[in-house]
Amino acid sequence: MTRWVGLLAAAAAALLLGVVVGPADLPLDAVWDGLLGRGDQATQAIVRDLRMPRALLAFFVGGSLAVTGAALQALVRNPLADPYLLGLSGGAGLGAVAAIVFQVGGVWAVPLAALGGALLAIALVYRLALVAGAVLDTRVLLLSGVVVGAFAASLMGAIIAISPAPEVRNALLWLLGGFDAASWRAFGVFTAYAAVPLLVIYRQNRPLDLLALGEEPASFLGADVERLKRVLYVAASLLTAAAVSVSGIIGFVGLVIPHAVRLLWGHLHRSLLPAAFLLGGVLLLVADAIARTAFAPLSLPVGVVTALIGVPVFVLLVRRWAK
Amino acid sequence: MSLRNLTALAVMAAVSLACEDRERHADGPVIDDTGHPVSLVRSPTRIVSLAPGHTELLFAVGAGDRVVGRTRWCDHPPAVATIPSVGDGLNPNVESILARDPDLVVFYASASNEAAIARLEQLGIPTISLLTDDLDDLMRAADLLGTITGQKATSDSLIDWLSREIASLRASRPGGSLPTALMVAWDNPPIVIGNASFLSQIAELAGAHNAFADVDRPSLTVSMETIVERDADLILIASDSGIPAWAERPEWRVVPAVRDRRFVVVHGTEFSRPSFRAPAAIRRVRAALQEWHRR
Repeated sequence: MTRWVGLLAAAAAALLLGVVVGPADLPLDAVWDGLLGRGDQATQAIVRDLRMPRALLAFFVGGSLAVTGAALQALVRNPLADPYLLGLSGGAGLGAVAAIVFQVGGVWAVPLAALGGALLAIALVYRLALVAGAVLDTRVLLLSGVVVGAFAASLMGAIIAISPAPEVRNALLWLLGGFDAASWRAFGVFTAYAAVPLLVIYRQNRPLDLLALGEEPASFLGADVERLKRVLYVAASLLTAAAVSVSGIIGFVGLVIPHAVRLLWGHLHRSLLPAAFLLGGVLLLVADAIARTAFAPLSLPVGVVTALIGVPVFVLLVRRWAK
Repeated sequence: MSLRNLTALAVMAAVSLACEDRERHADGPVIDDTGHPVSLVRSPTRIVSLAPGHTELLFAVGAGDRVVGRTRWCDHPPAVATIPSVGDGLNPNVESILARDPDLVVFYASASNEAAIARLEQLGIPTISLLTDDLDDLMRAADLLGTITGQKATSDSLIDWLSREIASLRASRPGGSLPTALMVAWDNPPIVIGNASFLSQIAELAGAHNAFADVDRPSLTVSMETIVERDADLILIASDSGIPAWAERPEWRVVPAVRDRRFVVVHGTEFSRPSFRAPAAIRRVRAALQEWHRR
């Protein structure tokens, strides 16, 4: 119980931090006025139209990445699994770089192209992993994910090498991750979309516990393992593809948050999944606050900061656990 | 003075001086912008130019007829279209350069060119690396290129002319408080133009103050709220495609100048690199700003 109170308090504090802290040096009472729709226009715009949707979006993306990581680690029974392992980052990157280099017009061209690339990679990996008819072999899934990712990355490299446009460098910066495109609309679209795969994954929490024992024991204990694997893979991949399209590729959250939660509170997915969601959200929100303010007015890619905070925290956890 | 007059002046100067100057060797060692001495035995006759700005500069000092290779980005003056391209200017293909049989290769000063420079010097082909990021760079580069191509009289008169033009533009700058201008290089992540860029220099001379003039670098990645906080009076866009697509995105519409569509748009390659076309470019921005003031 105290765990949940603590996690919810941390989430609330992180959301508050995301609204209070920023490169624009606003005093607390100005932020409060801005929240209530009082005070000058610029402050209101910064607080209500930029910081609030950005904080909420960062929180939801962080939570989604952590849940995806937890589900995929259980699915492929590999502690190194993370949301991008299965070819997604390569597919999304290829889509984004192609859209920029070939100057696909339109306001949403880059995020939509990234989403398209990721979905294409997912379809390809899934098809490759269905080796023996309708059976999804998780070892082949892992391998084909890596292979499709490498293939997409090579294509991306080829495009970058032959296209001189300076925009390519900026495409790569976009891929490093960030929430500069955050808006109420982006937040609304992402949450409406993410809610479905998040619920689908959560509903599988009991079968996920069984799957951790191995596919055979799980099926003896009554889990429909083949269906479970397909549902999990599709839900996790679609969730990650959406995250990539709103915020680029943010490493580390999906890899380490699930492990941290397991070290702290055990392996039961019924509590592991929601706890990972909250903690992933907190980490990404804090990382984004640091990315925006540490070198203001310059800003850092948020993926750099998630690793800089996450690695030391994780090392401390592992040391504590090893004692 | 118009561009055409300027070109005519350059051509005249080149013709009158070419005969005697081409025979003369450069006096003393010339040191380029990377601190590397340029080892020329005689005035170069086959030059490969690896930056659009450098190509333009070689034509301006009257050595355009000796340019035998260029990058695929070189687009000014129109005569460059007939010169064979050797591909990219940064990290260039050494074989394509050698195929032009050059006796001088003019590089943009960048770490990514070090390998190609070392290779060419090893093969006994002289190289020179020049920075042309702002108008001061341009004048220094013009002086160096004028010296080593034996066109010093032309480059001296061009530099003299440009200094006077800049001084007069500075003196005639509109008084009072200048509007602040935001210049956006990229939308996501937001990258804006800082003080150490040519575009910023153009804006300042034309009569606008760069909203990020306090950051002394060519460009910087910032977050959206910093852009809102700076609250620029207008958005200066130097692009042939006009008002960009990002102006329609919700997060950019939070920026007051974007929401109110306070855009000042100019077209042309003279805004993308320092050249002797800069005074004309500055006057065009000034005219666009005056029109904006009247709106």
